[in-house]
Amino acid sequence: MADTPVIKAEGLSFKYNESEEGIFDISFEVMKGEAVLITGNSGCGKSTLLKCLNKLIPTITEGELQGKLYINGEDYAKVKMYDLNKEVGSVFQNPRSQFFTENSTAELVFPMENYGMSKEKMRQKLGALKEEFGLLKVIGRDIFTLSSGERQLLALASSLTMDQKILIFDEPSANLDYGNATRLGILIDKLKTQGYTIIVADHRFYYLNGYIDKVLFMEQGRMIVFESEDEFKKSGYDTRSFDLFSLGLPFNNAKVVGKDIVAELNDISYKGIIKDINLKLYKHEVVGLVGSNGAGKTTLAKILCESNKPDSGKVIKSTLPFFIMQDPDYQLFGTSVDNELSLVKNDQEKIAECEEHLGLVPYRYKHPFDLSGGQKQRLQIAMALICDRDLIIFDEPTSGLDVYSMQRVSDEIVKLKEHAGVLVISHDYEFLRHVADRIIFLNEKTITDDFELTGETVNRLNEIFNDMASLSA
Amino acid sequence: MNRLRINPVVLIIINIIAPSMYIVLNGRYLQYFLLAFASFVLILMKRYKRIIGMIAVYGAMIGIHEITIMDDRTKFIGLFFIVIAQSVPCLVLASVLVTKYNSAELLSALETMRLPRMLVVAVTITLKYIPTFAREFKLIKESMRLRGIAFTWKKPICSFQYFVVPQLFRCAALAEEVTAAGMVKGIDAPVKRSSYFEEKVRWSDAMIMAVFMIGLAGGFVWQIHL
Repeated sequence: MADTPVIKAEGLSFKYNESEEGIFDISFEVMKGEAVLITGNSGCGKSTLLKCLNKLIPTITEGELQGKLYINGEDYAKVKMYDLNKEVGSVFQNPRSQFFTENSTAELVFPMENYGMSKEKMRQKLGALKEEFGLLKVIGRDIFTLSSGERQLLALASSLTMDQKILIFDEPSANLDYGNATRLGILIDKLKTQGYTIIVADHRFYYLNGYIDKVLFMEQGRMIVFESEDEFKKSGYDTRSFDLFSLGLPFNNAKVVGKDIVAELNDISYKGIIKDINLKLYKHEVVGLVGSNGAGKTTLAKILCESNKPDSGKVIKSTLPFFIMQDPDYQLFGTSVDNELSLVKNDQEKIAECEEHLGLVPYRYKHPFDLSGGQKQRLQIAMALICDRDLIIFDEPTSGLDVYSMQRVSDEIVKLKEHAGVLVISHDYEFLRHVADRIIFLNEKTITDDFELTGETVNRLNEIFNDMASLSA
Repeated sequence: MNRLRINPVVLIIINIIAPSMYIVLNGRYLQYFLLAFASFVLILMKRYKRIIGMIAVYGAMIGIHEITIMDDRTKFIGLFFIVIAQSVPCLVLASVLVTKYNSAELLSALETMRLPRMLVVAVTITLKYIPTFAREFKLIKESMRLRGIAFTWKKPICSFQYFVVPQLFRCAALAEEVTAAGMVKGIDAPVKRSSYFEEKVRWSDAMIMAVFMIGLAGGFVWQIHL
């Protein structure tokens, strides 16, 4: 039986109700102990395929399912969801929705309780998981107070509580900084050598370089199978993401003219999170703010926005900055795209021009919440384009965006600097290389590096990323 | 003395029985008894701030009731407030349940009451949505300020809409996500659920229940003698 694939798909298709999207005629095999990457652009069907693999399709998502799927030679249709999930552990994309409870211990024991495990056994398993994943600091805490790296570890550990041997990840890197993503890659490799079968769906995969046995490339719901990482690299698809630092991108080299200051921080300290920050931000400049998860980047942005009041120091600025948060769902209030933009500034001519420019015209009467992730992002950029603020701040604008959407967002952000100063918080190296004129590194509560990004200084940026990877490793 | 940890089942039972007693018992008696009882439980749990908050809110409502009841034109306000004031002690006990116990503990507690699994899951998710709601509410308020969309009493409906519509969308998305998170972790497994947090019924729990029952019985006695 050694040759039975752990997962096998034969002509698998799924079409969502009331939508043309789905996956079509997919066939592949995954063998025990393999690490498989499922990749492709946003909307290509990666998540749909994963939902089929953990049986959320057809259990809770409705649509038309055809074809066959097997686990260890057994037909999925004959396996109950609760039995399947003792074999398959799922780690979701969004750490907020990943968890059923709000306490880390409760989360770890939750699956074991559901399957009726005895208290003694739960205690043993909890101890073993604590040991294996270094969860000592995580146990017994409120999940909302965990850092994103800790959350990822918790999510991973809780998906292995029933000794699952197959693990599926949905965009695990979306909310991780470079260091944590690199560590996740190493962890995945370790699990693989322990005999786990790993399936990762992600459109960024630099952190998996050298660990992949098979690539399932998806495009508009259809699949091409590459039998090795090398074969995929040679295929000519956009695989640059394997090696971030070799990107041959041009530098903006645009010297900032005029040096109009849009915001200034003098000796700012806040609650022991950041200390003695001095910073000047200029018009016509895109500044990339980098630092590990939890370094205080968002705190700094919130001080600029008056959401956090500094304990000491002074903030000087002409207008309230326009702050674009990571999750657009908190920021959209309008009844349609048109209405959303007119809430920012009621200038119909400018709104029409912006919608045209960003390809939002077909959606102008749609409710903002009905837009896709990429469209919401464009709407937010349109809002930034028509606002009269001097400083525009983006918090992780590219998390969850594929390479093409990221490039598009980059172009628009560069355009924004024509009328304002732009501050982007990001751990996306490719994106920073596209947009940033200047880099600020926030480390150990303060700014430890601040330089213009040019051909000569790019190594400093690379070093920062390497430092972040080795920090707290 | 440490904070007394009360079995969540006791709090749930009290929260089910107490409000329904308004149907059969004298309102005034029950109102004072529940206020005294809730204070007693909170003292045992050392939740002093919550007692002060409860008494302040209760006092304010009774105050409004006493003032407005004097005039026929404002009487309806008074009647409205007395109804709400009566539910304050129960709401405070319910708030302890939601904030001081995690959802796994609640889930186990409800399971021991032998309610159907799906009902238990639905109730747990609903209870846990309250703190989530509070968190999301703060974020939305903050983001309205940043957008320059202020909440104004001049346009209450419009302002309210800005608050509520994003919440509704989040709510729908969260419901689906939480269901998925539960499903992939075997929440539908047809076995008797075990509990890591299961708490035995202790003397203190029995005592609290007894005090509660004696109080209610006292209400009946009082009613008969009046």
